[in-house]
Amino acid sequence: MRIEKTESGKALVLTIFEKTLDASVAQDFKNALLEDIQSGRNRLVLDLSHVTFMDSSALGAMVSVLKALGRDGELVICGVRPPVLSVLALTRLDRVFKIAPDQEEACYLLTPT
Amino acid sequence: MEHVLPPLENSVTGLYRSVLTHLRYSLGKQPDEVSARDLYRAVSYSARDRLLDRMSETLARYRKNDAKRLYYLSMEFLIGRSLVKNLAALKLDGATGEVLRMFGRKMEEILEEESDSALGNGGLGRLAACYLDSLATLSMPGFGYGIHYDYGLFKQEINNGYQRERPDSWIDGADALHVERSDLAVVVPLYGRIEHAEDRWGQYNPMWMDWKLVVGVPYDIPMAGWGGRSVNYLRLYVARPSTDFDMKIFNQGDYFRAVEQKIDSEKISKILYPADTVSAGRELRLTQEYFLVACAVRDIIRNYLADHQGFDEFPDKVAIQLNDTHPSLAIAELMRVLVDEYWLEWDEAWGITSKTVAYTNHTLLPEALEKWPVALLERVLPRHLQIIYEINRRFLDRVIEVWPGDFDRMGRMSLIEEGPEKMARMANLSIVGSHRVNGVSALHSDLVKSDLVPDFYAMWPEKFTNVTNGITPRRWLSRSNPGLCALVAEHLGPGFVTDLERLRALEPLAEDPAFGEKYLAVRRENKERLSRIIFENAMISVDPDSIFDMQAKRIHEYKRQLLNVLSIMAEYILIADDGVEPPAPKTAIFAGKAAPGYQTAKDMIKLIHSVADVVNRDKRTKGLLKVAFLPDYRVTLAEKMVCAADLSQQISTAGYEASGTGNMKFALNGAVTIGTLDGANIEIAREVGEENVLIFGLTAPEIARLTKEGSYRPAALYQKDTLIRRVLDALRDGRFSPSEPGLFAWVVPYLLSERDRYFHLADFTSYMAARKKAGEDFTDRLLWAKKGILNTARMGFFSSDRAIREYAEKIWKIESVPG
Repeated sequence: MRIEKTESGKALVLTIFEKTLDASVAQDFKNALLEDIQSGRNRLVLDLSHVTFMDSSALGAMVSVLKALGRDGELVICGVRPPVLSVLALTRLDRVFKIAPDQEEACYLLTPT
Repeated sequence: MEHVLPPLENSVTGLYRSVLTHLRYSLGKQPDEVSARDLYRAVSYSARDRLLDRMSETLARYRKNDAKRLYYLSMEFLIGRSLVKNLAALKLDGATGEVLRMFGRKMEEILEEESDSALGNGGLGRLAACYLDSLATLSMPGFGYGIHYDYGLFKQEINNGYQRERPDSWIDGADALHVERSDLAVVVPLYGRIEHAEDRWGQYNPMWMDWKLVVGVPYDIPMAGWGGRSVNYLRLYVARPSTDFDMKIFNQGDYFRAVEQKIDSEKISKILYPADTVSAGRELRLTQEYFLVACAVRDIIRNYLADHQGFDEFPDKVAIQLNDTHPSLAIAELMRVLVDEYWLEWDEAWGITSKTVAYTNHTLLPEALEKWPVALLERVLPRHLQIIYEINRRFLDRVIEVWPGDFDRMGRMSLIEEGPEKMARMANLSIVGSHRVNGVSALHSDLVKSDLVPDFYAMWPEKFTNVTNGITPRRWLSRSNPGLCALVAEHLGPGFVTDLERLRALEPLAEDPAFGEKYLAVRRENKERLSRIIFENAMISVDPDSIFDMQAKRIHEYKRQLLNVLSIMAEYILIADDGVEPPAPKTAIFAGKAAPGYQTAKDMIKLIHSVADVVNRDKRTKGLLKVAFLPDYRVTLAEKMVCAADLSQQISTAGYEASGTGNMKFALNGAVTIGTLDGANIEIAREVGEENVLIFGLTAPEIARLTKEGSYRPAALYQKDTLIRRVLDALRDGRFSPSEPGLFAWVVPYLLSERDRYFHLADFTSYMAARKKAGEDFTDRLLWAKKGILNTARMGFFSSDRAIREYAEKIWKIESVPG
């Protein structure tokens, strides 16, 4: 899967260039994020603006990432399209992640280290 | 830019043009090569075009008025054939007849091409269809929500007297009936687990993870009201996989497993469960029920939010009716959506849910009340189980406030039944989560309060109400009995099918011998037609001048087809052995399906056929008694039966039949009811006059007392009553199964058991007397005509229009929005 990573201040912004985040890419998706966390990054912005469908395995991957971040880390997601937002609401993950309209707002929402 | 199409013309020319267009462009046919089937489809498409125009106008009108909408959730809609109803509703039947003549075809020939949409088992599903007809006729914003099963109720064939089930794929040709609305598809999660976590404010946050998604694609069937002023819809959902294949499995190279999973999703809407099949514990049935509920709730909320902000007005704009407990998960689903997806506080969500939902109970059989194993719910719907637990916790807190220390009562009222296998009680959930609970006849509603759920009635007496069932006169008079309609119209003018109380004006004609003769002539014609159907389908020749005595309904022990058969055996023995002729020649006609897994009911069908074989072959009964079983009972066959009946058998054990609607169809067409004081029979007797029905047997309180005291002694009745003894001995000795002598030996101990909870022998003697009286009355032609006319004249109360008005006023608070 294609993930573009850019720096924005203290945050690492990961833009997902996939339309569908499902079981076929969930492991790669999870590994990519865990790699960054293991290398010490704990302020992440996940840009989902290209994602139109996300299934429960991708959501499970996001929960794993959240756990790996621990209490000191933070993950803000942005560019969430309505179908993706509805699955986040279905699982009540919208209460766990901060959700921003775009990258700029997401970086703003991140608590400074 | 405004996109405007010229209106479709309803003239013969306009319709002809539509039919030609569909023949050529929808079916790819030239006019000179069309079959009856092609014409049926082209006419259906042409009618559908017009219905869609009216539906669009109707929905815009409702929306403009911000009208409160009713959503009728039902696992079954037994709509039967649609084309004839739609043409009549749109007043297109005349023009269609003309157009078909241009192709050298007759209307009836084309109408026979349509399969019955048998998306229901019996009364409950047919009731839903009648109610949709009335909602549209009354221009009320009411919509049906159900499942688009590939296979409806099975087709029944009879082989050597045994029922054989054949799949019934109604959808061949259904494309001309409905419209796919893939733009309104919804995703439905199933399975998974709860991850107990915290949200970002440190509050408990149960997360529903690892679900699988199924897509619900709606198909809308336009439901035209009489006169075509308003057209509502019945929205039926098909289950499809969320993606064509599970890509992970596919990528692993396991193509077949990927295909299997696709089929797994699709099987949710594959087949209708037959009634009386033990569905508890059946995962597919649970997923079907949830699938319906989840699709409906999403659609309802989307409709509501299209014109409203926030949920404060939701109960003022939305009513949800649960047709039995099958859609009761709507309560948990609405709570889940409001609390989880829209972040409402629990109390606010509960207030909205319980003001929106209402529940119709359809059964008094405790074993028929739905329960689901908690373990299964936890696996299939883990978040809903949590919600049900929370509803229960809060509810039981209230119970213990009202009845401190009454733990037995708490146990009875709990939504969860404790035991070796914990079960969720869906009736309890339905009552707790609804603002109104109704039974479907006066007696039934009383018994719901006093016997079925007295604890709930004690807690919330104001919740409980009654709406006696009704039937649509458009189907069950206009369609089924055009001859009678024409006769009535000669005297009353048109319009009585939308104002059935007007039939009361026929009462004086009951004394008019000339009218009586005309009334009987119409029935004679209907009986001749049915005689031909009986010969074509059962190869039995019957006499249209004999009394047509019918029992047409699902085969079930409580409906007591066995009591009817026992009496036929008795009448046969009296003729054959004693030379006692009945007052009038009789044709006993049965029809009905037995659930595939219900062996006693299937044995009953064999018994009826075996008795018919013996009776019909015996020369001594010639001209006196015939027995026929008409296979594959369905709406279309019912239409042809109800108009040809002299006598309507409604003989359930008192206290068992919630209402019945077959009883109403027969009585509206003038058949005299021979029945127990059960269900709506009581109200039919009240309306048409006790002298115009034949009531017999124990009453519900008498049955209840016998049951409670355990004082039923059928063996004593056997000893005392010679006729009972002769019938049972004949059965035991193989008289009705000469080639297989032991075949019906089971019936004797069944009837002589003190545990026969249907009390067959207790009612036998009074039933025989009532049958005799029916025969005597029948021999007096004008008396029989008078009884029939008074039945027809006084059945206005049982119009589904009256029932829908009552629901609208007492429960739904919806209003008519006429065009």
